Amino acid sequence: MPETTQHRVDVTAAVVDDEQTQFRLVTDSGETPDGTAPVLAGERTTSRASGLARTFAAKYALIGVWALMGLYFYAQVPDTFGSAGTFSSIFGSQQVLVFLAMSALITLVVGEFDLSVAAMMGITATTIPVLAGVHGMNIWLACVLGVGAAVLAGAVNAFFVVVLDVSSFVVTLGMGTLLTGMAQMISGSTIVSVSSRGLAKIFIGELFGLPYAFYYGLALALVLAYVLAWTPLGRSMIFVGTNREVARLAGIRVQRIRFGAYVGAGLLAGLSGLILVASVGGFDSSTATSFLLPALAAVFLGTAVVHPGAFNPIGTMVAIYFLATGIFGLQLLGYSGWIQNVFYGAGLVVAVALAKIVRDRSRTA
Amino acid sequence: MTTPRLEARGASKTFGSVTVLDGAHLVVQPGEIHSLVGQNGSGKSTLVKILTGYHGPDAGMTLAVDGQALSLPVHWRAAQAAGVSVVHQDLGLLDHLTVSENIGIGGFVHSRLTGRIDWRRQDRVAEAVLQRLAIPVSPRALVGELSAAHRAGVAIARALRATVPGEGMMILDEATRALPRDDLARMHALLGRVVESGTSVLMVSHNLEEVLTLSSRVTVLRDGRVVGEGLDTAGLTEADLARLMLGKTVDAVVRPAVTVREQVAAEVTGLALDGHPPFSVTVRSGEVVGLTGLPGTGFEQVPYLLAGAARADAGTVRTTSGHVDLSRDGVCEALAAGIALVPERRGRDGVAVEMSVRDNLALPNLRRRGSRWHVGRGWQHRLTADSIQRLGIKSRSGEDLVKELSGGNQQKVLFAKWLSTDPDLLVLHEPTQAVDVGARADLLRAIGDAAAAGRGVLLVSSEPSDLVEICDRVLVLRPGQEPAELRTTDPDVVLDAIYSAQIPTGASHA
Repeated sequence: MPETTQHRVDVTAAVVDDEQTQFRLVTDSGETPDGTAPVLAGERTTSRASGLARTFAAKYALIGVWALMGLYFYAQVPDTFGSAGTFSSIFGSQQVLVFLAMSALITLVVGEFDLSVAAMMGITATTIPVLAGVHGMNIWLACVLGVGAAVLAGAVNAFFVVVLDVSSFVVTLGMGTLLTGMAQMISGSTIVSVSSRGLAKIFIGELFGLPYAFYYGLALALVLAYVLAWTPLGRSMIFVGTNREVARLAGIRVQRIRFGAYVGAGLLAGLSGLILVASVGGFDSSTATSFLLPALAAVFLGTAVVHPGAFNPIGTMVAIYFLATGIFGLQLLGYSGWIQNVFYGAGLVVAVALAKIVRDRSRTA
Repeated sequence: MTTPRLEARGASKTFGSVTVLDGAHLVVQPGEIHSLVGQNGSGKSTLVKILTGYHGPDAGMTLAVDGQALSLPVHWRAAQAAGVSVVHQDLGLLDHLTVSENIGIGGFVHSRLTGRIDWRRQDRVAEAVLQRLAIPVSPRALVGELSAAHRAGVAIARALRATVPGEGMMILDEATRALPRDDLARMHALLGRVVESGTSVLMVSHNLEEVLTLSSRVTVLRDGRVVGEGLDTAGLTEADLARLMLGKTVDAVVRPAVTVREQVAAEVTGLALDGHPPFSVTVRSGEVVGLTGLPGTGFEQVPYLLAGAARADAGTVRTTSGHVDLSRDGVCEALAAGIALVPERRGRDGVAVEMSVRDNLALPNLRRRGSRWHVGRGWQHRLTADSIQRLGIKSRSGEDLVKELSGGNQQKVLFAKWLSTDPDLLVLHEPTQAVDVGARADLLRAIGDAAAAGRGVLLVSSEPSDLVEICDRVLVLRPGQEPAELRTTDPDVVLDAIYSAQIPTGASHA
């Protein structure tokens, strides 16, 4: 059962109070609040069936909207949207975002957040071409150092947030800005590029019309989903994110998990930078921050699907390709440039709000 | 008869298909303290929330203050204008602001022209209301630095700042719950001054003793209906009130006789506690040992120190499975040694309310039952089904989120969670807090069963009736003295031992 890769974001109603207790059909002592016999079985099954339908709607509404959106675009521009290229354009173009979103996801799952993921990606995507292209270093060594820089940045974040207990907002915002500046420094504020046959082979070689990196992203999401649902580590991460004190009293090493999440975020952000360099061949360090919102938007939008209210990797994947489809279709309709930001921003707020409304209604009914 | 200060008739509230409040009446006379009592879920907080405008009532209710009808649902500003004020359970004070600022919030004295707050005049307003109520705090003091009783006083001063003496009604929504016993007396004197002037107080309280000594009349709710309207407290006893609230007499939980074995389950040695001599106790297998004391004297710390959740200066625990040095080891070592803690604050420390029952039950067993790379579901389902059945947890399934359960069932989940780790020593802190009678009986029975299975149980509680009903012996911690050991079935004996401890000379009835 997949219900478990979940981390509840909705913490408003943390404790059931007296009057919410009354929402329950039965009280502690097994009687209905007005003292009559429990509700008839027939009534209960019908309400359960409609409850199930609602739950299903809450879980997969976004996928329905996705399908409708696809149909709409197909109806509008059947020639272009219906072509085989559309599929690979949508599914073959989002690998960097997948890794970056997963990077943001693992900090959010443990109840933290990291605003520096895009800049960590940027530092990797700048370091590799600078070392390998400008200084002629061995490409593999450059990759290791580049990703290592992001991991180091993640560890520094962790040190400040977890060990020194400084606000994660301050630390990661500062780190993000600092890394962007450093990337501009080492790249001389220009676009740096590198070409490597080896990298290209690993990341942009194609299988079934999609680059290998797509499958890496898919594998990453599946592995993360597995870890969160089926391993002690993942279960512990979710409890740390849901209630840190409960986790601590259960013998979970909370600080270690929080620290690890920041370092892991650095690693995945570094890998997304590596994929970016490998697929594009170069990077303009000043554009790094523009990757932040799409990644966060995808993670939060992902909480509206599969396990509503919970950060979950599969939901994030759906959200990424949902957003990519929307933007691709709108571009085919002739909108360009600005539409990306408008769609990401609006999509995020509207979808998450709708999911919350549906979820609340399915719960109280 | 004079016009009542507040008259609410036919108050009903339905959530979905559940009627929480059914045609309740409440009449408060001028200048009286009127109590509103009922169990959790009896509808009393719903009634208060209707009065404060948080909930809109169902059709058919009428509400009048001093004979003037108020439109429904209640608009708080209109109610305020009519003289109704409220002090919430958490008091709603901002610790980092001054008394004057806290009193002024929501109605600062400010210049018409610039909107700037006139602090001098604001301070004078605050001082006037503090003086009227004889609360000896300075308007410039920081609220965070005040004692509990003075904080409550400031909250009351805020509620009454605009009330003309002799008019209005203040709702006290369990605002005295957090007060230590000494401060309670001062608080009661303050409330006495408030009603002397003619202002009314509607008090919501769980403390029946307080209700009887303080209020002149009481309204009792049960299952959403009024079962006692405006009863005169003069002729009532706590037992009468309890019977009204519960609708039946409460049976004491009788524990099946268990022979305490010779085998020691856990031995605590030399635990350092502030203001107490080093604390040692031996809990035998099958034994339930109670631990209590005066609130605030440090006995509440014992469970957390024993479980490694807070670091002790010194002390060791030896159990059948291991040994813990409390000055060095943490939660993990304590768990490994078979010490499980059921903490007091279940929403904060006990269970993750956003997670399902099954996830919560499985949490402490993940490493033991799952391999590093895989946590199976089979044992989780078995554990969940077994716990639900054994403790009688009322939930649709193990997939229900804990926050969807009632308080008593949440507490059962918390208890089952730690019982599932098969501990040698089960440390419980206030395990029956804020649960209803049925759940309390289930929990106490489960504690007895856990002991009967050969565990040692340390029950840390300030609830004398729990202690005498389930414990083989009760230790009463007294500052600066060795703990007293009681073997009794009379809660009053325990109470006496706790409160006589205040007098170090020991002139006591214990």
